[in-house]
Amino acid sequence: MKITKEARRLSSQLFRLSLTEGRLDRAKVFSVVQSVVNEKPRHYLGALETYQRLVRLEIAKRHALIESATPLSAETSETVVNNLKQKYGQDLTTEFAVNPDLIGGMRIKIGSDVFDGSVRNRLALLQEQF
Amino acid sequence: MSTILQDIETQIASLKTTTTKSNVGIVREVGDGVARIEGLSDVMLNEAIEFPNGVIGLALNLEETEVGAILLGDYSGVVEGSEVRTTGRLLSVPVGKGLLGRVVNAIGQPIDGKGPVKSETQYPVEKIAPGVMKRKSVSQPVQTGIMAVDAMIPIGRGQRELIIGDRATGKTAVALDAIISQAKINIAAEKAGTKDFRPLYSIYVAVGQKNANVARAVAILEAAGAMPYTTIVSAPASETAANQYLAPFAGAAMGEWYMDNNMDALIVYDDLSKHAVAYRQVSLVLKRPSGREAYPGDVFYLHSRLLERSARVNQEAGGGSVTALPIIETQAGDVSAYIPTNVISITDGQIYLETDLFYQGVRPAISVGLSVSRVGSAAQIKAIKQVAGTIKLDLAQFRELAAFAQFGSDLDAGTKAKLDRGARVVELFKQGQYSPIAVEEQVAVIWAMKNGYMDDVPVDRVKEFQNKLQEYLQTRKTDVLTGIREKAALDKDLEASLKSAVEEFKQTFR
Repeated sequence: MKITKEARRLSSQLFRLSLTEGRLDRAKVFSVVQSVVNEKPRHYLGALETYQRLVRLEIAKRHALIESATPLSAETSETVVNNLKQKYGQDLTTEFAVNPDLIGGMRIKIGSDVFDGSVRNRLALLQEQF
Repeated sequence: MSTILQDIETQIASLKTTTTKSNVGIVREVGDGVARIEGLSDVMLNEAIEFPNGVIGLALNLEETEVGAILLGDYSGVVEGSEVRTTGRLLSVPVGKGLLGRVVNAIGQPIDGKGPVKSETQYPVEKIAPGVMKRKSVSQPVQTGIMAVDAMIPIGRGQRELIIGDRATGKTAVALDAIISQAKINIAAEKAGTKDFRPLYSIYVAVGQKNANVARAVAILEAAGAMPYTTIVSAPASETAANQYLAPFAGAAMGEWYMDNNMDALIVYDDLSKHAVAYRQVSLVLKRPSGREAYPGDVFYLHSRLLERSARVNQEAGGGSVTALPIIETQAGDVSAYIPTNVISITDGQIYLETDLFYQGVRPAISVGLSVSRVGSAAQIKAIKQVAGTIKLDLAQFRELAAFAQFGSDLDAGTKAKLDRGARVVELFKQGQYSPIAVEEQVAVIWAMKNGYMDDVPVDRVKEFQNKLQEYLQTRKTDVLTGIREKAALDKDLEASLKSAVEEFKQTFR
């Protein structure tokens, strides 16, 4: 389905309405979606689709995915989470995952920023140098 | 003591753990050489971005939630969901003398199978042209070796001279002749050890050409011994539109290196109509709004920023020059189409090649009336100015009279003389392909024409007269030719010796 210009404009208006002090507000998001579904304005399907995408990207910006080759100890994960929260704010959500492909070390992805300290990355860097 | 050692050890250990920070995105859509990427929040406009398997892309559209990028190279491995990372640098190509004699693609990778390019320096593909304060006026000539061009439409170093004409009118031939002529001049000067000689290095950018044509151009340049002074940037029709769009900019970057290092370069863009078409394709798949003939609104800026990079700069800014010979192919002689008018208005003149003339056997088929050079006359050497000063006017008058004289047979003596002279000048300016004539020989031949030594030679034997005169001067009167070359002007003595030489030759010509 082609998303029209009007739908895109509506969706960014909706998105602005669902922010409080620059942060996504859960309650506002629900009420915005609810009212759109009830009122069904023109292009509402396209608008909601774009809106969903905007919200998804906004959530991703405040979500850290911490990957490691082996499960982290409780102590280490707590340090990592605390450090990240200091850097990115207290409302950061975190998720831990085990990825053996990393071989060793850790890879943290927040929004589009990636901090890569994994062995795989270092091997790749080494390969590039030669 | 041991604690200090431990401290140092931990310090070293912490240095060794390299954690890299990068900015990544995910490919959401890919096709037609263009990818749309979600993420990449830190990407810059025109930044090179890295796809898996070492494929490089160029971020061209920065939108609210997406980035539109063109893909360079083989992008068959790029799929939806691939991770993309920023590189923090602009797209650049290798530059320098290591590229001479090589055939490279739009990103400077060799495609001639002669091993890696030896180059230390990289230049960004997109660069802002030198500003007003850095520039110097055009005052040194580019000798194309084509008599009609050097005499009537002179080109100077740092000039942009458009070569325009229909298909198969010899546009590429004119450009290749110019390249071959430069190589010949370079070789001759190197052999003679001329002091203060400024060699001219050539770059031939093939955009959207047939692969066979590019191969032929390489073969011609190789046969003429011009390859050691030439770089070929090839983005043939089989390459993606993205590569075709980038190739001229890569060529310009290679030329700029010479300009920055007190050397001179000549770039041929063959051709910019296909470049505009490639850019239109890229723009349309990037969903940029289209304008006239579906070209994007910035198609003028595309060519103006490219051609503005040809300049002659002063000593503080490097002291070199880049001369551009863009080529435009017209459809049925229509110079008022969109892209031709754009490029005509950007360049400092044009060489217009006509189909009619071509089939009349006037080759190169240069139309004298429509061809101009706006700055080149300042760069002509004095000798050629002396002999060829009025030739363009004479030829224009001849064309007018010739059209008029078709209706009547009895003409007055003055008109007849003008017609006879004109017919011989046209004959004189016919020239074989890939056989540039040295400027001193041009001066001698045009001098002989101007002073009536060819008036009693039948029109169909003018070419023979010219060739034999050149041969005679080359073998018997080298001092006259050297004199013209070194003094670059015809003084009394030189003119007298030239006169006696031509008269002597005329005795022998039957």
